[in-house]
Amino acid sequence: MKNEVLLTHDLAIGYQNRRLAKEAEKHGRKYPGKVVADNLSLDLAKGELVCLLGPNGSGKSTLMRTIAGVQKPLGGHVTLDGRSLERLSTKETARLLSLVLTDRVMTGNLSVYALVALGRYPYTGWMGKLSKDDETVVREAIAITGTRRFACRHISDLSDGERQKVMIARALAQDTPVILLDEPTAHLDLPNRIEVVRLLKQLARERGKSIVMSTHELDLALQAADRIWLMSPVQAEESGKNIEMISGMPEELILDGRLEKAFKRNGFEFDRESGSFRINQHHEGCIGLVGEGTLAYWTKRALERIGYKVVIDASLPCRIEVSEDRGNRWWRYYNGKSGEPFEIQDIGSVISCIKKNKTGSEIVA
Amino acid sequence: MGIKVDSQTSPEHSWPLLSPKNSLIALLFVIMAFFFMLDLALGSVKIPLGNVIDIVFGKGSENEAWEKIVTYIRIPKALTAVIAGAALSASGLQMQTLFRNPLAGPSVLGISAGASLGVAMVMLASGAAANAFAIRQLGLGGSWLIVVASTLGAAFVLLIVLGIAVRIKDNIVLLIVGIMVGNITISIISIWQYFSEPEQIQDYLIWTFGSLGGVLGSQLYVLAIVVGIGLMISFAASKSLNVMLLGENYARSLGMSTLYVRITVIAATSLLAGSVTGFCGPIGFIGIAVPHLTRSILNTSDHRFLMPSSCLVGAILMLVCDIIAQMPGSQTTLPINAVTALIGSPVVIWVIMKNRNLKSSFA
Repeated sequence: MKNEVLLTHDLAIGYQNRRLAKEAEKHGRKYPGKVVADNLSLDLAKGELVCLLGPNGSGKSTLMRTIAGVQKPLGGHVTLDGRSLERLSTKETARLLSLVLTDRVMTGNLSVYALVALGRYPYTGWMGKLSKDDETVVREAIAITGTRRFACRHISDLSDGERQKVMIARALAQDTPVILLDEPTAHLDLPNRIEVVRLLKQLARERGKSIVMSTHELDLALQAADRIWLMSPVQAEESGKNIEMISGMPEELILDGRLEKAFKRNGFEFDRESGSFRINQHHEGCIGLVGEGTLAYWTKRALERIGYKVVIDASLPCRIEVSEDRGNRWWRYYNGKSGEPFEIQDIGSVISCIKKNKTGSEIVA
Repeated sequence: MGIKVDSQTSPEHSWPLLSPKNSLIALLFVIMAFFFMLDLALGSVKIPLGNVIDIVFGKGSENEAWEKIVTYIRIPKALTAVIAGAALSASGLQMQTLFRNPLAGPSVLGISAGASLGVAMVMLASGAAANAFAIRQLGLGGSWLIVVASTLGAAFVLLIVLGIAVRIKDNIVLLIVGIMVGNITISIISIWQYFSEPEQIQDYLIWTFGSLGGVLGSQLYVLAIVVGIGLMISFAASKSLNVMLLGENYARSLGMSTLYVRITVIAATSLLAGSVTGFCGPIGFIGIAVPHLTRSILNTSDHRFLMPSSCLVGAILMLVCDIIAQMPGSQTTLPINAVTALIGSPVVIWVIMKNRNLKSSFA
């Protein structure tokens, strides 16, 4: 049985607008404003990590803001911990849901420790003095996020990756069952991205936090997320609604082709096998590949990069056979004109040889 | 990879302090007390420090003139300096944090301009010769009429800004609107000046130079009470101001009502800056500079600590400016408004260049 901490029921997100509200009344439309997405019925279980995906402008931030109670929904409800968000005071909401935003905290003269301690705001008295318990929570948040090393440093002296972890520590100090993160991996290099996502996974699994993070990084999301919420643009209709929400386990979305369909735009090909986009377009023709293992895989990648469609087919006149024996590698390149293959022993020469020959069989649909 | 919690095992002292020690505030208080006494001792008539201390602590002095000078002139003036310095600094600090802008000060929302408008209305109003006559008879600084007029002027502009503040979501927009309201007010004064008699303009100009010496007797009580209320509101807002350091979005997500804080801060600032401008004239510079100075010296952003220290640093700076303004040993006094900037600016430049941490406070 699932244990939902966050539920949205028939939620419509968007921007209220006086002019559109009048029009809506006149034309009998449902919502008084510009609708970004509607009919959103989402749920978030305890200990679940959800990645919110979608192209720029699809309404990820609007959804985040609406769930966080910063922006009013155009219709429907958000339920937090069994209680309707509208009925909760800002202070009560602050104890149930914390945010990590893309806003840069610019204040200097503020130590990491003091910043994380600000997360205790909803719990402290009118002067904001931390109790022993508060301090324990703050220190634990710093320890968990691995920011202990620079707890004394000023926030302005941190790198982007360090700062992001500090902001996560602050959200953790707020001690809420739900954490929303708006593009926490933006501006970070790969190791930092992985570290942040790993940290979030760990918080979900070991601390039972329910986490929603918006991101543009599909491969990272597919690997880490328990579930994906994908906001996908559809053909704009008269009603103004133009976003469709797709939700499910990443593998489920790939296998039933919904992810592929959502990303299908000009020149974008989603590779179901690897769960990533194909950047390369095939315009040079078709080439056969014979062989197996790592060597064959990377040969295929190289051929695709220079624009060939690669098929596993030994009967094509234009083909490459790869083999590996005790650390020795061979590529046999048949260019389809002369019967004799070129024997090559490094991949760089293979590629330049193919480029020189400019040959390939016609792509068979 | 498991979660490692090393907070229990690591030594207690290795965690940074959330704010500097309270002994620093005590030190600032001692420095302020020293300059307070010095301010009493120095002036056109030099009175030995020992005698001043005797007079202050009620032991009296064999020289009756000294006793009168200290009790009726210098103590009220020094107290006014302390109150004005503390009030302007506290309101400047709040404005800078609320608007996240290093150039914000007590005058940015047009409150000082509003006070000036009130005073200008009284002094420049044509056909109010009787009033002008009465003012001159009472002496400029010591007129209740001026105080009431400037307070009403400040309150008028404040109400406009508050009305806008409730409707606008963005603090930066509010800041710009406040500056514009101030500009409108100032240009109204200019037009009024243009059509006024030279004597009237002179009276008004003298008021704009600022004066600490005009607040006497019951006026001092009124000023102290109003500023006291303003400071209490400011101290109560410290916790919220700390959260404002994270920006409005984070503050809201932490359950803080930004509208409530904004109204609180504007109300406190108008009480503080409005009353001081009313009683002492528009004293510039202190409100912008002292918060920077305090942050730079103490290297903290915790308002629970910054607020009292800013008040003390402001009081100290104001006392020092007053000592210089009365040019010890001479019969002349300089306008306080000119001295605050003339003396204060190099001090601020020096401190900021030396510590190089101002930029990190805002950028």
